[in-house]
Amino acid sequence: MRYRPAVVLTRHFFTSLFDLGFLSDEGVDSLKRALLGIVAVAIGLGLLLVRVFMTKYANLAAGPVEAFERAVVADHAFLMALPMWMVAAACGFAGQSLFPDEIDYRILMAEPLSRRTIFGAKLGALLLFCGLFVVGAHVSLLPLITLTLFVAAKTGSPISYASAFAISSAMASLFAALAIVAVQGLLVILAPRARLLTFSAAARSITFGVLVLTLPFVVRLPGTAQAFAADAWWLQWAPPAWFVGLERVLMGDATRTTLAAEAIGATLVVMTLSVGSYVLLYYRFDRVTLHPGNPRPVRSRPRVRRAIGSASVRAAIQQFVSITLRRSVLHQGVIVGLLAAAGGFMVNGLLAANVRPLASDTRATATTISALIWAPMALAFLATPAVRLTLSLPLDLRANWIFRMTEEVATRGDAVAGGLRTVFGLGVALPIAVVAPLQWWLLGSSVVVLVTVEWLIGWLLVELLTLEWHRIPFTCSYIPGKGFVPHVFVKAVGSYVLFTWLAGSVLRVSLAHPRTVPVIALIVGIPAGLLCRRRTRNARLVNLTFEDELPMDVTALRLNAD
Amino acid sequence: MLRARGLTKRYAGLLALDRVSFDLHPGEIVGYLGPNGSGKSTTVNLVVGLLEPTAGSISLDGIVASDDPIAYKRRIGYVPEEPSLYAHLTAFEYLTLVGRLRRLAQPTLEARIPALLQILQLHDSRYKSMTAFSKGMRQRVLIAAALLHNPDLLVLDEPFSGLDVNAGLLLRTLLRLLAHRGRMIFFSTHRFDMVEKLCSRVIVLSAGRVVMERRVADFDREGVGSLEETFARVTQQDDYEPLARRILDTISGG
Repeated sequence: MRYRPAVVLTRHFFTSLFDLGFLSDEGVDSLKRALLGIVAVAIGLGLLLVRVFMTKYANLAAGPVEAFERAVVADHAFLMALPMWMVAAACGFAGQSLFPDEIDYRILMAEPLSRRTIFGAKLGALLLFCGLFVVGAHVSLLPLITLTLFVAAKTGSPISYASAFAISSAMASLFAALAIVAVQGLLVILAPRARLLTFSAAARSITFGVLVLTLPFVVRLPGTAQAFAADAWWLQWAPPAWFVGLERVLMGDATRTTLAAEAIGATLVVMTLSVGSYVLLYYRFDRVTLHPGNPRPVRSRPRVRRAIGSASVRAAIQQFVSITLRRSVLHQGVIVGLLAAAGGFMVNGLLAANVRPLASDTRATATTISALIWAPMALAFLATPAVRLTLSLPLDLRANWIFRMTEEVATRGDAVAGGLRTVFGLGVALPIAVVAPLQWWLLGSSVVVLVTVEWLIGWLLVELLTLEWHRIPFTCSYIPGKGFVPHVFVKAVGSYVLFTWLAGSVLRVSLAHPRTVPVIALIVGIPAGLLCRRRTRNARLVNLTFEDELPMDVTALRLNAD
Repeated sequence: MLRARGLTKRYAGLLALDRVSFDLHPGEIVGYLGPNGSGKSTTVNLVVGLLEPTAGSISLDGIVASDDPIAYKRRIGYVPEEPSLYAHLTAFEYLTLVGRLRRLAQPTLEARIPALLQILQLHDSRYKSMTAFSKGMRQRVLIAAALLHNPDLLVLDEPFSGLDVNAGLLLRTLLRLLAHRGRMIFFSTHRFDMVEKLCSRVIVLSAGRVVMERRVADFDREGVGSLEETFARVTQQDDYEPLARRILDTISGG
């Protein structure tokens, strides 16, 4: 039996869209298991949401029809946003495989295959991939969609409502997929080859971060019926609202033409960019793929002295960490994803407390002050272990030998501190810096007191979480404090409650009685300083931990073992 | 002087190296030959201090590796067989990282790194990520990293792999000059021609044991045959012609 090359290639490209490019075989397997689990949970949640929405509609049934209809509009925004989110996330993850690349060029163009076959197969695989997620997302939400359509039938024809929803939602998902393809296409066409990986990694991380941060807003869409009724300003900036506008226009509602026009315009723009990128790449595959890009002008290159900087081991490790986080797709993706998830949790908390910095009537009430005190500490509590986890992910274990060959007793402390500075910077300083403008907006100059105490509490948190940290980042995946998962989970939740309560209390006292700040600084700072001293002293006594994979280690297969 | 005595290494019951002993004197280049799986790389990992022997000891100028591993490793430069390095860094960044970890002073780094990159023809690519480097380019970066701190003992595992003719000739000449200046060079390879041209002594390993140790100059003098013939004899290599014929038959058939 002979296989048709186009079919073989399409299957190959389709499979490679599920390969994230930076995971091991075991990682891909566990990701597949995780994805299947997520699908199962999504279907379960879909059914649970039906129950919740049924109660909501039962309550609305007693009221006027307009209230009913407003609720359905907001719910449809939610039902369109979820598949959009899922499709965008899937395409974002598969970013590196959306277009034929240099490896495809070098390997496939050497085979007796036409360029048309290669591009056709890639496009076919991409369509299958997007289609799979669009259908999957809608199937998991089908019970809820059916319920809203059944309810909507009270105000119009269910068939026309179903058609309008199907067209609008499919177009919304198409827009989400094409937006990611367009960004990747522009990168492929415009970015110099030497920088493509860096730009691509950054684009993927930003996409992922934005998606995670938007999740609290997506979840809150069913509660925006009033905003739709009042034609709120932010609807113009919310893509799901555009497609709800399109649905309303298809239903004959002329008041939503602006939103519908935005939906059609935006879809056309991303479609043009995506198709344009594909066509351009098709005709200039060799030049675009193999062109090294313009070298940077000599003037912009750093001088040797500046490039080397300080010769200390601490600076060396810090630079190593910073470069790795900038260039490694895996590490950047994980850290951005985890920080965005922590950020999303915080945003959700602030929204729940009704903290609205842009609203003119915002006042510092007891609830908003509590939320503002809670936010940076909650974010730091989630971000610090997230950063620590990212630094634990190994980069290339076979390259660890250079750190083992150069380990020195005198500089072990510096090597450890180089990594911990990043933990503090991203786990504590960044959350404080993110929330500080909001605190300043609502609390004024008191923010200085808050930030000082937050800084010290954050320092103590980092020292506590890195008590057993004897390693150089990215060289060892052993997780400190690893244990039985339910036990760790209960411990983590308990620690979170205790930490945010204690830190919140301390911050509240500092805010109410600024004179107590020096005493508080001593109470928090002294233990942090002592822990720091202990860690530095221990570094001289304890070897750095490495997880090694020496290139030529012998592995006994024991094929005949009983 | 590097002194290895009774080096033995077991991996989960599998004997990879069995009581291997040898010396390496200042100014000497020793070639370490053996078939695949004979224990060459295990020996190299023991010599550079990346593995600890199950039994036996190894010392460099009196410093025993197991007693003071840090002082021991400080004096070694190592070029691994696989170009295992952090490829997301540029050559310049990698050498800077290694130099700082070796605690070289800033002026030393400023002088040595650009010069080494220039000589090893990596200067034009010094700001490019090494993910785009060929195996030969990565090998040159590793050679530069191994030489950066001017080590007493240079351990090279297949150093010529991937190098072009010019870089290979440069490395050969450099190794000779280093030996003239009293450095010790331990060099594991599959290439007989390099051993014959470069080394003063050769150690042959088979199934984890030293099966031959001889001065390279003695091969012609004693009429024992060439290094390649002797190697095939002492390591009991198969006759490859039948295997080659089987491959030909396989690809010629239906």
